[in-house]
Order: sequence, then C-alpha cells, then structure tokens
Amino acid sequence: MVHALDEIRRTLTPDGILIDLRPVEDNWLVEVASQDAVQVAGKLTDVPIGQADDAAAFRAMREVESLGWFVREREQEFSFFYYWDTPSEMKEFIDTEWEDFEKIEDSVLKAAQSVWASANADARVRVRVKMLITRWRKIQEPPSR
Amino acid sequence: MSLQKDPEGFEKKILHQYADFTNARVLEVGCGEGRLTWKYAAASRLTVGLDPDQDAVRVAQADSPHDLRGHVHFTRASAKNIPLAKERFDIAVLAWSL
Repeated sequence: MVHALDEIRRTLTPDGILIDLRPVEDNWLVEVASQDAVQVAGKLTDVPIGQADDAAAFRAMREVESLGWFVREREQEFSFFYYWDTPSEMKEFIDTEWEDFEKIEDSVLKAAQSVWASANADARVRVRVKMLITRWRKIQEPPSR
Repeated sequence: MSLQKDPEGFEKKILHQYADFTNARVLEVGCGEGRLTWKYAAASRLTVGLDPDQDAVRVAQADSPHDLRGHVHFTRASAKNIPLAKERFDIAVLAWSL
C-alpha cells in the first residue's frame, strides 16, 4: 500500500494533491426512507476482514505522512446512501457484494421488513455508508546537494 | 435490481469542494467502471483512470461519452506500478481503493 502511494506521489507535480475517498466500516445504519420520514431499522455488522483493511489503510497514510511525502490539508466524513426498492434486494446485494466487509443479521433484516411494510408506499430501504475524504498535498523534496 | 447509489449527489458535491478539477490533469487510481470519473472528468484537461480489472476498464471505455473521449483515457494497471511519466498530474484521486 505504501509502495502504491509512492508511485502516485511520483506521478504528481511538485505541489500536486491527492484525494483519498473511501468508505470506513462503522456498523452502517439500515434505514427506511420515504418522502416524509426516515426510520432506523438497525445496523449492519462489520466483518473482521473489512476492519483489517481499514486499519491497513489508516496505517499506510500515517506512514506516508511520517515519511514527509504528503501533508494532510483537510478531512471530513459524510454519508453515502445505497438505496433498494425492497429489503430482500438489499439483503441480496449485501450478501453478494459486501460479503467481505459487512453482513446483515436476521434480526435487522426482519426489523427493516417490518418498518418498510408499514411505511408510506414510496418508502425504500437504504444503507448509510460512512465515507471519509481527505486532501493531501505532496511535499516537495528538498533540492539535492 | 433497483439499486441506486448516492442519488443525493453528496459524493460529487464534496469531491468538488476538495479539488478544483478545472483544466487539471487528473489520475484516478481504482477507477473501476468509471462511476466517479464522470463526476469531474468533463472539467479536466486530461483524466487517466487506472484499474487492475480489465472487465471494469472495458466498461469504462465503452461508457465514455463521445465528447470526452479525447481527454479521458482508461488503462488496465495496478497502483503498484503506474506506467506513466513522473510529475504529470495535478490531482490524484484514490477512488474507494486504498
């Protein structure tokens, strides 16, 4: 990972910037959203592989920062929503696409089904993914002597 | 399937708060099928998307809007060995890939 960041740094102009945009595991919320209301049905469960990936990514960025390759300029979290028309479509997606980092417990799925069934006709289910965006500035290397 | 990703457009809005892509030369690492690429590439002078997945690169190439094909390029490559010259880009985007 650090080697890849060094490669990216090599391709950047001396004052170039690196935008790191990625999801961060945090037991993402399962919600039912309609025009009028948003109801929380429960939380997904983080999977250890995904947690390890997150830890490795944070470790790599700390390392390149300590090596003096990049300086962190700005950072924030925001929500990124995945929407499905039905709870079963959501479950199918989570089971097949997110199997390495999130899973949905039966109790959470049942809660989502219950809330969705009693919500307005336009209600959809969604997962609130926690995103992190960071802007890094490449640090110019000192001129060689 | 009815999947919809970020219909509110939060990702695009925040991305543009973090970087000015106007006339910039942009390297996107982990571009996949180009979902994020199309949110800034029109403003850029040059965009190069890299991804190790050949199938994803093919989709990105096939979906390229005709008017952007002159300055948006997709290549199969890993971030561990970027086949591009040094100091060529103003902005690098790590797209859900670190």
